[in-house]
Amino acid sequence: MPSDTGSSAPHHDLDPEPQSVEEQLASVTLSVSDGQPSTHQETNGVVLESVNQNTQLVMEEQLQHISVPAGEIDEVRESADRGVVWGRTASEVDMDGLSSPSSSGYAGERGSSSETSGSVIGDVVEQDEIEETRNDVIVDEVSESRTPWLPAKRHVDEDDASISWRKRKKHFFILSNSGKPIYSRYGDEHKLAGFSATLQAIISFVEDGGDCVKLLRAGKHQVVFLVKGPIYLVCISCTEEPYESLKGQLELIYDQMLVILTKSVNRCFEKNPKFDMTPLLGGTDVVFSSLIHSFSWNPATFLHAYTCLPLAYATRQAAGAILQDVADSGVLFAILMSRHKVVSLVGAQKASLHPDDMLLLANFVMSSESFRTSESFSPVCLPRYNPFAFLYAYIHYFDADTYLMLLTTNSDAFYHLKDCRIRIEAVLFKSNVLSEVQRSLIDGGMHIEDLLVDPLTRSESSSHLGQHKPPTESLERLKEPYLGVGGPAGLWHFIYRSIYLDQYVSSEFSSPINTPRQQKRLYRAYQKLFASMHDKGVGPHKTQFRRDENYVLLCWVTQDFELYAAFDPLADKASAIKACNRVCQWVKDVENEIFLLDFIAPSVSFRYTLQE
Amino acid sequence: MGCSASLPERSSNQLGRGNSENGGGQDAKNLRVKLVLLGDSGVGKSCIVLRFVRGQFDPTSKVTVGASFLSQTIALQDSTTVKFEIWDTAGQERYASLAPLYYRGAAVAVVVYDITSLESFNKAQYWVKELQKHGSSDIVLALVGNKADLHEQREVPIQDGIEYAEKNGMFFIETSAKTADNINELFEEIAKRLPRPSTN
Repeated sequence: MPSDTGSSAPHHDLDPEPQSVEEQLASVTLSVSDGQPSTHQETNGVVLESVNQNTQLVMEEQLQHISVPAGEIDEVRESADRGVVWGRTASEVDMDGLSSPSSSGYAGERGSSSETSGSVIGDVVEQDEIEETRNDVIVDEVSESRTPWLPAKRHVDEDDASISWRKRKKHFFILSNSGKPIYSRYGDEHKLAGFSATLQAIISFVEDGGDCVKLLRAGKHQVVFLVKGPIYLVCISCTEEPYESLKGQLELIYDQMLVILTKSVNRCFEKNPKFDMTPLLGGTDVVFSSLIHSFSWNPATFLHAYTCLPLAYATRQAAGAILQDVADSGVLFAILMSRHKVVSLVGAQKASLHPDDMLLLANFVMSSESFRTSESFSPVCLPRYNPFAFLYAYIHYFDADTYLMLLTTNSDAFYHLKDCRIRIEAVLFKSNVLSEVQRSLIDGGMHIEDLLVDPLTRSESSSHLGQHKPPTESLERLKEPYLGVGGPAGLWHFIYRSIYLDQYVSSEFSSPINTPRQQKRLYRAYQKLFASMHDKGVGPHKTQFRRDENYVLLCWVTQDFELYAAFDPLADKASAIKACNRVCQWVKDVENEIFLLDFIAPSVSFRYTLQE
Repeated sequence: MGCSASLPERSSNQLGRGNSENGGGQDAKNLRVKLVLLGDSGVGKSCIVLRFVRGQFDPTSKVTVGASFLSQTIALQDSTTVKFEIWDTAGQERYASLAPLYYRGAAVAVVVYDITSLESFNKAQYWVKELQKHGSSDIVLALVGNKADLHEQREVPIQDGIEYAEKNGMFFIETSAKTADNINELFEEIAKRLPRPSTN
């Protein structure tokens, strides 16, 4: 990890004195060692981590056996242009990968959620009948001639023999435990049957030894495995992201699949272990690729928190009131969002929505273009709410960005939900919520330039977002993007996560973090910081200060919040700490506007001061 | 009534959607009907609807998720109006078991296939059987061969469509959502075939 030349301080307080580079290097153990496996065997440069330590001998033996593919990973990926083919050896193993267009027998469970028993499951027999009929009549494959009707998938022409495919930095695969491909980020799943079989062989070999493979390291590549019953998920990455982050991403991909199919898909594999699942996911490539894309820009994917669109308190209250009204009439969740940010959200009685479910639901809705065309009614599953049952979602876009999702357990509720939407729309229109939402999308939320250098002047300014912005100064900054960049003390960006609220707020990107590439790099740095702060083996930590050639990163975790801040790499430590304290004060000052506050959870009321 | 497909509530509303009627009168001059489109994915169901409702055609049209709801009113020559409340369903296999949600209580079902895909014609026949088994007994069925503009790639002879429709008491038409050919004709013909509520 060449970028980690910083120091880390797993103590309650930060190091009292800024250290020299040499001193920082001397204490670098934590940040470097976060990639080191606790259980590993090294064979041919491949390191394998598994769950049970007592199977190490088995592992070693196994690695020698499978060293054909595994040992070659590094070499082959480094020199893909030499045309070495890895994984092809196994392509004969499972030859029926392409030729079994069986009907699924998949019948997703209907909204039989615990609270309401409105739905009757009495038609199971009928469903089976339907499936049988279909078995006779149709062949379920996506026919070549009609592929253009499906959303374009990236690089379908590739397979594991393509050099371009091998050079991709981050692959994701879903496969069945019989080795059948279900999804691949790049390339055509059907052409990757052999490759999938190889992945399956690695997993099942370790399983045969009563263990479970977690991670293979091969040079700069990591192969991360996740087993979910009959479904296997694999990530092959050379992005240097921590194992925990990649595993978290696999978990989200699995949950995204459940959003579309529910866990009842497992029954298809119980009936037929060779079941081909690809037809069931037909047309959903774009949902997965959009989720995978969000792994490199959306902090919600590793923070497990959601973010709100900044709005005046009264505006959000107006939206919340009408949603509450609707929720009282038998709607399980009423959610108003603009892009990936929450405007307001209400759950019926004790129902609560997990931030990951919100992320996956929003991704599902935003990536499915058809929802923008007209109002829709679609089954969706919220894996954290009930992974086995569908809920029914009424979805309507008010404008290009803002959409309403009304979730219910009642499959007959469409017309009721449509009426609810008409009422909601009238109220939102009357109270100008939609135009305020548009304004907020343009203005953004917390701009670090607005963080006051002198905290004494804070009391003079009102505690509203953006109103204490010195306009002339920010204009000058726009003219000189390479000089006075960022906020005070060289602050470039921050993310504040409230633990009680399950919400985070991140500052708007500004110079010098203003290109997608720089934003992605910062995102990855935060992700790594998050993983190291939450590393169960070493942590938990309270504060961390690391300096490398790109940034000074400062992380501060209390019982109530987590603060991640990025500074100019030359920033002074004492000033950076002061700036962090001011950020926390600022967040408290504007909490009404940046968070969705409910009445039970304590908000940002606790006072903390970070000491040097 | 849950998800049971076989018990359409025809007693409360012969043409409509059972107990979920939300206002609006039903008289002999102004009909309101629930129409559902079924068929394999990619045959152009959404394109037919968008052509009919909005006069648009988007060649990059998107995969439907669940089902979309749109409505359009047409006026007939006998000065009656028919408001179609259209359920445009997703063609993917995973939604097949949920189709009763959308066709339950429908007065009209339009089963669509793609004339360049024999497979989609087979799937259309599956939907016809399912509707005969579980749909309303007086449901108006239409069989539509879409993408008629692609006649050079035709896999389903027009005669096959006609014969199958005749055998099953369906109305048949070939359409092109791309050129708008026969789209309005389809819905006008359906409107004419609707049973009229008794006048009293």
